Amino acid sequence: MEELISTIPCREHQLQDLMDLLGEGDEPLPYSLFVSGSMATGKSLCVSKLLQYLNYKHVFIDCIECYSPKILYEAVVTGLTDQEDVKCDSMWELTNILNGVCVQTFKYKPIVLVFDRAERLRTMDQNMLMAFLRLREFCNLNICTIFVTNLVNENFYFKMGVREPIKLYFPNYTKDELFKIIFLNQKSFVNYLLSSSDACIDGQLKEDLENPELFANFLNAFLSVFYRPCRDLIELQHMARVNFVKYCEPIIKNEIKSTDLTKLWRHIAPILKTSLELLYLRINTSKSVQSPAKENNATLEETTRSYENTLKEELLSTKTFAQSFELPYYAKYLLIAAYLASYNPPKEDKRLFMKNHGKQKKKLQQVRAKAKITEKLNTQLGPKVFTLDRLLAIFYAILEDKIGLTSNLLAQIATLVELKLIAGSKEVDLDVSKYKCIVGYDFIAAVAQTVGFNVRKYLYDFI
Amino acid sequence: MLDTDIQSISEQIKRVRKYIKLKILEDNINFRNHDEERKHVYDLITRVILHGESHSALIIGPRGCGKTTLLNSVLHQVSQEADVQNDALIIKLNGLIHGDEKIALKSITAQMQLENAVGDHIFGTFAENLSFLLSCLKTGTDRTCKSMIFILEEFDLFCHSGRTQTLLYNLFDITHSKQAPMCVLGVTNRMDVMELLEKRVKSRFSHRHIFMFPNETCSDPLTSCKRLFVDTMSLPTSLGKRRKDKRKRKKSECIQEDIQTDRYAVPMEVIKRCNMDVTDFEIDSTFIDEWNTHIQELVNDDKFMDVLEKFSYYTVNEQIYRNVMYQIISKLSSSKPYIHVSDVSSCVDETVCPEHSVKLLQSLSILELSLVIAMMHGLEIFDGQPMNFEMVLHRYTKFANTNSSTQSVPRPVILKAFEHLHQLEIIVPIRTDSTGDTTTSRVQKEYKLYTLGIPVEDIKEAVKGFKALPTEINHWFNSSVM
Repeated sequence: MEELISTIPCREHQLQDLMDLLGEGDEPLPYSLFVSGSMATGKSLCVSKLLQYLNYKHVFIDCIECYSPKILYEAVVTGLTDQEDVKCDSMWELTNILNGVCVQTFKYKPIVLVFDRAERLRTMDQNMLMAFLRLREFCNLNICTIFVTNLVNENFYFKMGVREPIKLYFPNYTKDELFKIIFLNQKSFVNYLLSSSDACIDGQLKEDLENPELFANFLNAFLSVFYRPCRDLIELQHMARVNFVKYCEPIIKNEIKSTDLTKLWRHIAPILKTSLELLYLRINTSKSVQSPAKENNATLEETTRSYENTLKEELLSTKTFAQSFELPYYAKYLLIAAYLASYNPPKEDKRLFMKNHGKQKKKLQQVRAKAKITEKLNTQLGPKVFTLDRLLAIFYAILEDKIGLTSNLLAQIATLVELKLIAGSKEVDLDVSKYKCIVGYDFIAAVAQTVGFNVRKYLYDFI
Repeated sequence: MLDTDIQSISEQIKRVRKYIKLKILEDNINFRNHDEERKHVYDLITRVILHGESHSALIIGPRGCGKTTLLNSVLHQVSQEADVQNDALIIKLNGLIHGDEKIALKSITAQMQLENAVGDHIFGTFAENLSFLLSCLKTGTDRTCKSMIFILEEFDLFCHSGRTQTLLYNLFDITHSKQAPMCVLGVTNRMDVMELLEKRVKSRFSHRHIFMFPNETCSDPLTSCKRLFVDTMSLPTSLGKRRKDKRKRKKSECIQEDIQTDRYAVPMEVIKRCNMDVTDFEIDSTFIDEWNTHIQELVNDDKFMDVLEKFSYYTVNEQIYRNVMYQIISKLSSSKPYIHVSDVSSCVDETVCPEHSVKLLQSLSILELSLVIAMMHGLEIFDGQPMNFEMVLHRYTKFANTNSSTQSVPRPVILKAFEHLHQLEIIVPIRTDSTGDTTTSRVQKEYKLYTLGIPVEDIKEAVKGFKALPTEINHWFNSSVM
């Protein structure tokens, strides 16, 4: 038991609770356990390790993998009987097998079924989850079901009510615990660093880098920035790995001594701040690692600035993405027209796009501007559908030069639909079908910029 | 000497734990309260078996009030008094497993042990199949049939709405047609179960309802809680060690006799079913005495009774109560051989008001919590109208712009946080009506409408107890938006 606790740090309490509930050897198991907790809090790890330690017969089922009842039942049966290609279509057959084969082989030995990501069970078949909650009643075995999920129990209520499981909750790791856990992997971090840097690292430098104190210092700095927006251990570990390489760069290049903590902190602080913006996005930053390496004698500020610049480019990816389409001139205007048609109310078309729209409306407009509620803006409610007629009308209104309506132009609409910039119904007849622009404001602004068109001027929300 | 002492104590504790766990989980024969209902069911079943009458009845009661235990205890009693093996066939079906009619029929065939007789027969209708099964059962010269007892648990799941209730119709029909003496007992927790039945099924049902309510027999739920606690936690004195000169076989016989009479003991059938032997549970008789006095002390302890009272305010479900007792018992170990009141109270608190959703909220990152608060404010302003991502983002950026200290986060990261909230079901998408054509009704994820899936009170509680929450967020949360 001591051994087990040492392999899973910071979960002593939960392990002890689980251990108590599962008991020893041939004690009767409870009907079912419900283990919940946020992501990356060690739920599955604790359960599986403990079951291995107790040496109970257990089947571990991932409910994403076993997406249909049949596959799930068969996974249970194969797990218990070690027979391949068994057929099991229904709960009835499963209980038959449990009562037949398993009773003979297991007698009253403990059996545990673990359902990971149990929230998926709800959508499979309602009766299934209810039956698993009381599986013990149906077969004469010492069997227990454990449900592991990151939803709370309230999300599992059914209108009929079920047999209540015993609930266990796994709280998040605190900052200190996160520190402790990431620190355990110090070796792998250093190895990653050594393998990723191409400069040769000699004995003394290597020793410096392998010094746990260095890593501890880095981790302190890292968590002080990252703990606020992110509590996910997996994500934190990933970000720490990326940033540790950056932290050690000046040491490898002999610019900062590994003992000079204040200088190192000054070096890493802006980098951490910028990489904070990339949290969860997993954008590959390998480019930016190489670029500052070229200019060896550049000052610290400059390296960070160039790093920031590359980051900004990454973040403006919608722009580069929009330009990457290389749409023809008229197609761009067609797309802008589609956007305007989607986000403007049709009855305002006259005022927005016609030169002489009468004066008396100005008063009304002012009144309306005041009454406009920010949450009910069209840009926030999502695009509306429009017809081809309206699209073409707006297209001609915003386009300065007059061109004829050719089949080429219409073909470009079809292209936009193909590119999934506009959603259109599949009807063959162009006149009947309805369209919707499905790109965001950022995208359309980038497109409009290339043709020198101001989209905001024509959006009802911004007038 | 000391070592062996400790060893023997831990062994004793282990045995106590195992025995009481067995009692909590497996004992489905001992039945308390509801004497009237029990007698009613007992009469029905004995009349079917002994006199060959046909009956049908429904047992209705909320979850965890002992419907199944009642049936089990009656069947157990009947099996001791009459020759059930030869006179009757007991067929148990459960709506959760046999909800499908084909499966139900297969299971009936299996339970009648008629698979060979049916063989490759192909039947036109359900009724044909069932009557064939019945005719197979008729034996002897007078062509009489064994009496049959059908027990349908989760009865409401047999009443498929929309489909024909063939199984129920046929079963109830046979109770009238005198083909065979048959008793159909339905067990359900739905009060409105009659509304679910088809008209033709309803007219064939005897309309015999047996209602069971948890607090019917004893007015005070606390006393019944207390009684159950004493009953399950106390050890029977019969488990005490015998004098050593007796032979082993004799000893176990002795114990068996005692168990029949002791009210704290697990019935022999249960132990046999679990493949265990009574001799596994030999416990020092002084220890048993100590333990039983310990239980009595606990029950007389005011603090302990307060905890039980608290529990009985929340629920009267016996299944949940058994879960609590199980947790208490599983905490016993050689270093902690007795039940502590503090353990019991923490366990009860965990069970009746777990506040998991508050804990879940507190495990969110600051950004995610900010989004939840933004959404809460938005819902407050617009009277609970659903919001989409853009609206939440708008509110959030408004807050973030006024507070320079909050780090700016790019839009994709916020969208990711929003999706995380959706995954945790803290926000739930509203159902859109399926009308409208397929391409246009599908909305991008930014514009999908959501509402909060967690009550506002929980958010308040979570913000109050949030560790290291930045002050500006606390401020923002408390500032009234109206």
